[in-house]
Amino acid sequence: MPREPGLSLNERSFILQALQENIRIDGRSFDAFRDLDLNFGDEVISRISAEVAKPFPDRLCDGIFTITTELSPVASPAFEVGRQTDQEVILSRTLEKAIRRSGALDTESLCIIAGQKCWSIRADVHLLDYDGGLVDASCIAVIAALQHFRRPDVSIEGEDVTVHTMEERVPVPLSLLHHPICVTFSFFLGGDVVLIDATLQEELLRNGELIIAVNRHGEVCQIAKLGGVAIEALTLLNCANVALTKAQWITRFISSKLEEDLRAKTPGSLLAELSAENER
Amino acid sequence: MPLDTSSYSFALLRLDGRRWNELRRIHAQISTQAAADGSSYLEMGNTKVICTVAGPAEVRRTGGGSADAEVKVEIDIAGFSGVERKKRTKTDKRVAEMCYTIANAFSSSLLTHLYPRSTIQITLHVLSQDGSLLAACLNAATLALIDAGIPMTDYIVACTAGSTSTYSSNDETADPLLDLNGLEEMELPFLTVATLGAGEKVSVLVMETRIQIGRLESMLAVGVDGCKQVREILNEVVRKHGKKVVDSIIE
Repeated sequence: MPREPGLSLNERSFILQALQENIRIDGRSFDAFRDLDLNFGDEVISRISAEVAKPFPDRLCDGIFTITTELSPVASPAFEVGRQTDQEVILSRTLEKAIRRSGALDTESLCIIAGQKCWSIRADVHLLDYDGGLVDASCIAVIAALQHFRRPDVSIEGEDVTVHTMEERVPVPLSLLHHPICVTFSFFLGGDVVLIDATLQEELLRNGELIIAVNRHGEVCQIAKLGGVAIEALTLLNCANVALTKAQWITRFISSKLEEDLRAKTPGSLLAELSAENER
Repeated sequence: MPLDTSSYSFALLRLDGRRWNELRRIHAQISTQAAADGSSYLEMGNTKVICTVAGPAEVRRTGGGSADAEVKVEIDIAGFSGVERKKRTKTDKRVAEMCYTIANAFSSSLLTHLYPRSTIQITLHVLSQDGSLLAACLNAATLALIDAGIPMTDYIVACTAGSTSTYSSNDETADPLLDLNGLEEMELPFLTVATLGAGEKVSVLVMETRIQIGRLESMLAVGVDGCKQVREILNEVVRKHGKKVVDSIIE
């Protein structure tokens, strides 16, 4: 089984000693994210697709929403096709808990005819280049993609459902109730040093991690500290508060990027006229 | 089906008659299976778990093997353990996540460097589920590892803590709750917390429900306090068993 090559002893002691002297090897401060670039397709690709399907028999009034993740050898030689590693399980579970279970996507709005037809929304996450921060990047990508996605409009006459093409009617955005953002904290040196958004090298050295998903309203959607070094409870609470400010910053960043994208696609004053969204 | 827990505010009593800070009955036994290197049986209320530990033993596959012992966890959830008969396979991601959590927690609390190139296999059988499943598994594993005589820095003990309010309501009257049962878990936001030792060092913290960030502090405080109580109980079980073993040797 191919594995991520370990760090050499020199690298290991260099990074750890630097951390002890409050220096990160890429010069960031401990609580700084790496530069975030969002142009709707890069590094992590998240693609949303929609199709009409039959709802699950136990949830007749809800649509279907699934998130699938794929770690392919494209991103790193350590990833293998067709075998589920712990890392992949944790990634898909975290996304599932943060986005699906917290009810970020309003599945009831995906219902077309109760019990017969509904939209099935599928988010595919593909990792293109791996340098740590997998969960954070995937979560941001899915949330941004869900906001960016437009599904075809439908009209219902009795039992007949017509799916209108994009030319016929303006496509509708999905109804998102909130935007959870995952922030990962890494613990080093027995928990004395806490870093945000660790690189791959740092991830190989850490003693423990904590993933918190927060939305900008200050609601924690998911916490996962799955073992690792034991940390004082107060430190964990501080991490939650730091996660909140980071999540607010990232949410603002996503919406500014989305606005930019929309403006580039719809020139001039057509923007207001083209909207199919209802006032809420 | 969600059950209504809103009657809590009338008498401040929960569905099973407990107050907010009361644990359910914890009953534990050590050395229940003669064949295993270490074993335990643990009940937290109606959640019942059997744990066996094999090892430290030689790594089965050839080559490889690291400088530290590897902790492997397998969880078998019996089909009859829940309200509905539902078979959970090993590929179930929820179970896989629990296995990963338990393995990860113990590989940093056990002194794994003493057993290079070996594995410690923890096998858990869930006989009955009524909330606090992950917590019960962690507690049972701690007892079985002690029985197996594997050196550890301290006990890992776990319990759950919840809150009486739902995520949307912002009322300040919400009470934190200790040790939720299955019905409460279905309805209320809750977290599982595991501490290492008698202090406030948190080894595992898992929450899957949405909650206001301000609620977190009280829930975590109640959870950590609950862990201290659980620790006392488990400690007593271990000491009682140790005394019995010593007495039998003297005779």
